[in-house]
Amino acid sequence: MNGTSAPAAVPPQPLHITPAEVISEFSHHHPSVARINNGGFGCCPSSLISFQRQIQMQWLRQPDEFFFNQIQPGMLRSRNVIKDLINTDHVDEVSIVDNASTAVSIVLQHMAWGFAEGRFHPGDATVMFHCAYGSVKKSVEAYFVRAGGSVIEVPLPFPLNSEDEIVQEFRQALEKAKQSNRRVRLAIFDHVTCMPSVVIPVKELVTICREAGVDHIFIDGAHGIGCVDVDMKQIGADFYTSNLHKWMFCPPSAAFLYCRRSSESSSLHHLVVTHEYGNGLARESTWIGTRDYSAQLVVPEVLEFVNRFEGGIDGIKRRNHDGVVEMGMMLAKAWGTHLGCPPHMCSSMVMVGLPACLGVLSDEHTWKLRTYLRDKFGVEVSIYYRPPKDGEVGPLTGYTRISYQVYNKVDDYYKFRDAINQLVHDAFTCASLPNS
Amino acid sequence: MQHEYPRNGELTHRSFKKPKLSSEFITESDIRDEFSHHQPRVARINNGSFGSCPDSVLTAQRHWQLQFLRQPDAFYFNTLRDGITASREVIKGLINADHVDEVSLVDNATTAAAIVLQRIGRSFAEGKFQKNDTVLMLHCAFQAVKKSIQAYVTRAGGSVIEVRLPFPVNSEEQIISEFKKSIEDGKSNGRKIRLAIIDHITSMPSVVIPVKELVRICREEGIEQVFVDAAHAIGSVKVDVKEVGADFYVSNLHKWFFCPPSVAFLYCKKSTSSSDLHHPVVSHEYGNGLPIESAWIGTRDYSSQLVVPAVLEFVNRFEGGIDGIMKKNHDEVVKMGKMLAESWGTNLGSPPDMSAAMIMVGLPSRLCLNSEEDAVMLRSHLRDRYEVEVPIFHQASEDGEEGVRDKDGFITGYVRISHQVYNTLEDYEKLRDAINQLVEDGKTCKMLYTE
Repeated sequence: MNGTSAPAAVPPQPLHITPAEVISEFSHHHPSVARINNGGFGCCPSSLISFQRQIQMQWLRQPDEFFFNQIQPGMLRSRNVIKDLINTDHVDEVSIVDNASTAVSIVLQHMAWGFAEGRFHPGDATVMFHCAYGSVKKSVEAYFVRAGGSVIEVPLPFPLNSEDEIVQEFRQALEKAKQSNRRVRLAIFDHVTCMPSVVIPVKELVTICREAGVDHIFIDGAHGIGCVDVDMKQIGADFYTSNLHKWMFCPPSAAFLYCRRSSESSSLHHLVVTHEYGNGLARESTWIGTRDYSAQLVVPEVLEFVNRFEGGIDGIKRRNHDGVVEMGMMLAKAWGTHLGCPPHMCSSMVMVGLPACLGVLSDEHTWKLRTYLRDKFGVEVSIYYRPPKDGEVGPLTGYTRISYQVYNKVDDYYKFRDAINQLVHDAFTCASLPNS
Repeated sequence: MQHEYPRNGELTHRSFKKPKLSSEFITESDIRDEFSHHQPRVARINNGSFGSCPDSVLTAQRHWQLQFLRQPDAFYFNTLRDGITASREVIKGLINADHVDEVSLVDNATTAAAIVLQRIGRSFAEGKFQKNDTVLMLHCAFQAVKKSIQAYVTRAGGSVIEVRLPFPVNSEEQIISEFKKSIEDGKSNGRKIRLAIIDHITSMPSVVIPVKELVRICREEGIEQVFVDAAHAIGSVKVDVKEVGADFYVSNLHKWFFCPPSVAFLYCKKSTSSSDLHHPVVSHEYGNGLPIESAWIGTRDYSSQLVVPAVLEFVNRFEGGIDGIMKKNHDEVVKMGKMLAESWGTNLGSPPDMSAAMIMVGLPSRLCLNSEEDAVMLRSHLRDRYEVEVPIFHQASEDGEEGVRDKDGFITGYVRISHQVYNTLEDYEKLRDAINQLVEDGKTCKMLYTE
C-alpha cells in the first residue's frame, strides 16, 4: 500500500477449480442423498446463486431504472454468450425462454397458425419418436393435432446397439408418410432422449429429413448444452432448444430457442404477448411482463464458472461422460445386467439394466421403486419401464438412468449399487410395494 | 421476528407463527427495515408499475428456492403441488371465490390475457365464432392487452371495438354512459360481441372503473363473456369476484400485495366453457384443468407463487391488515395529490372516490408536455436529475373538446403518483419541488432533449 513496502507474496492461484471448491459450490445439496439424477432438474453452484441474488436485488432496489436501463443490455449479453457457445452467426437467431417446454409450445403454436391460415392442410403430419418427452407430446396434441394435423410415431428401439437402428426406424416413418400421401410439416426429435436416454444421431436425421422434403426440423435438445456438442451450423436444424439449467449450471430456469433465419422466422411469436409484439421472437422473449428475469441474466457468469474447470465445458462434458460410463459399467457388472446402449451413444447419462427379479413390470412400478429408493435408501435416480415385445424371451423390463455431474462422487453410485443388491438379497419385488 | 417455515412438505398453518404480542403492530421503524433494500434517496412514487416486496417475504422466498435446489426431485414430488394449493386457498378466501379450482396462479396479468385471448383466437380458427365477431376493450387498455388482442383475435379474423373513456373524469356516470354508447355503436352493424375486456383500475391514465356496473351492462347487452383486467386491484381496492360477476378476473399479487416478482391469480368462474382454457405453455399436465396446468409449466422457479401465505402474515402485522393498508394508502395518496395540485396550480385527474392507491395530478401547462416522447423525456429527467421515480401521462387534446386549463394554458400532462406503506411525505415534496424548480427555471419539455 502507498508504494512504501514490497508487495506481500501472493500464493499462486490454482489454474483450475479444486475438488474442495467444487464441494463447497454444491454444499447446499442435501448431504445424505446420492443425487444421481442431474438429468431431472439440473443443479446450480452457490457462486451463481449469489450472482443471481445480486441481480434480483438490483431489480428490487429500483425496478423502473432496471427496466429502462439494464434488462435489454443484460439479455443481449446473455444471448451473445449463447450464440458463441452454439456456433451460430446471428444473435437474432437466439431467444431466451424459461425452458424447453416453452420453446416447444412457441414452435408448435406457429405450426397451428399454419393450419388456421391455410398454409397447411388437414392431415398434414408431424413425425416424432414415441418416447418424446411428455410435454412435447401434449404440446403436439394441443397445437398440431387440434389444428388438424396428424402424428406419425417413430418407435425407438431399446436397448440399442448402434445409431443405424434409429436411422432405419426414422426412414420407415418418413416412408409411411409418403405412402399415405401426407406432407410432413414438422419433424420433431430429441438430441438426447429423456427416457430411455440415448444420444440420437441428429445430423444424420436432419439430412434424411431434408432429402424427404420435410418442411421444418425441430430438435428438442433439452439435455443438449453442457451434455453433448451443440453446433447449430453442423446440425442444420430449423429450430433447436436446450435448457441451460440442466447441464449448464444456470439457476432455474433459462433455456434458449434457436430459430434459423428464414422467411418465416419473423412470424414466430412468444405465447405471452406484450408491447414487444412484432419486434421479433428474440426481443419479444426479453419481456413477457413483470417477472424475475435474473436466471436469464446470469448467463455470462455461468460461462465464467464453467471456464474455471479444466477444458471448460468441453472438459466437463468429457469427464462426465467417462464418469457415467465407468459407473454404469460398474453397476451392470455388480447387478449382472447390461447398459442400454453402447458408450458412444451415451452422454452424461446412461441406462443400466436393473435385476429382473425386482419385477419392474409397469410405469407405476417405476414411480413406486423410485420413491422407495429415495425414502428408504437416500438415493435419487430415475427408473424406466421397458415393455417386453412380442416373442422376446426374458428381456430386462427395468432400467435406471444414472447421471454424472461435477458434484458426483463414486460413493453415490456405490450407495445405489448396494441399495439394489440389498433389495435383491431381500427378495424384494415392486409388486410388494403398497399403493400410494 | 423469527418465522418458522415448513420443512419437507409440511404445510400446516401452525407453521406460520403469529407475532408474540398480538396487539403489537408493525412500527414505522420495522417498515423502514423491511424496505431498506430500496434505493435510498430515490422518491419511489411509482409502486403501481412494478410493486414492492418486504424483506421478510424475500427471506421466505429464499427458503423455498433453497429447498428446491437442495433436493429438487423430492421438492417436485412432495412439496410443490401442495405449496401452490395453499397459496390458491389463501387467494380464494381473499377474493371470495366459491371453489379453489376457480383460482389459477400465473406469472402476471399479461399471461392471463394471453390465456383468455388464445381461447378466443381458437374459437375463430375452429369456426365457433364468425369473421368480424368482435372483442370490446377500453381504448386506454394496457398496451400488452392490446397487442394480445392483435396477436390472437385480429389475426384470427376478429374485430375490435374501443371504448373511449373521458379523462379527466368527474363521475362514474360519465364512464357508464360512454360505455353504453360504445356498445350501441359496436352492435350497430350487427356484430356479435364475444368478449368485453374491462380494467378494474386503468393503468394510464389511472382511474377506478365501476366494474360491477359495467359487467351488468355487458350482461344486459348480451355480451358473451367478460374479462376484468384488475392488474392493480388486489391490495389496492376490495376484490370480490362474485360481486363483480365477471367470467374471468386477473390481478397481480406483486403490485400491491407484497409478493416478489412475479405472481398473479386468474379467477375463472366455473362454467362449461372454463374447461377449455389452457395455459399456452403445455406440459404433461395438459387437460387437467387450468389451475393444475399452471402449477407446472416446466422446470422453473415457482417460489414467488409459494410465499402467498407468508405475505398474508406480513400484511396482518399492520393494523387492520390489508384493509387498513388500503385505506391508509388511499387517504395518503389523495392528500398528497391535493398537495401537489395546489402547489402547482393544477387539478386531480379524477375525484378521490375514483382513485385507490394511485391518483393522477395535472402538471403545469408551462412545461409544454405535447407528446408521448415529451412524457418519456420528462420522466427520465426526473429520475436522473431529481431522483424522483414517477410515470408521466400525455393527455392528447380531443378535437373540439375543451381541455382543463391552469392559469397559463391547457393541462396536457399528468403524473400518476402511488402510495405504498414505505412512502413518506418527503417523497412527494421532492416531486413537488422538482416540478416547481423546472417551472421556475422556465424549462419546457423540448429543452430537456438537449440537456
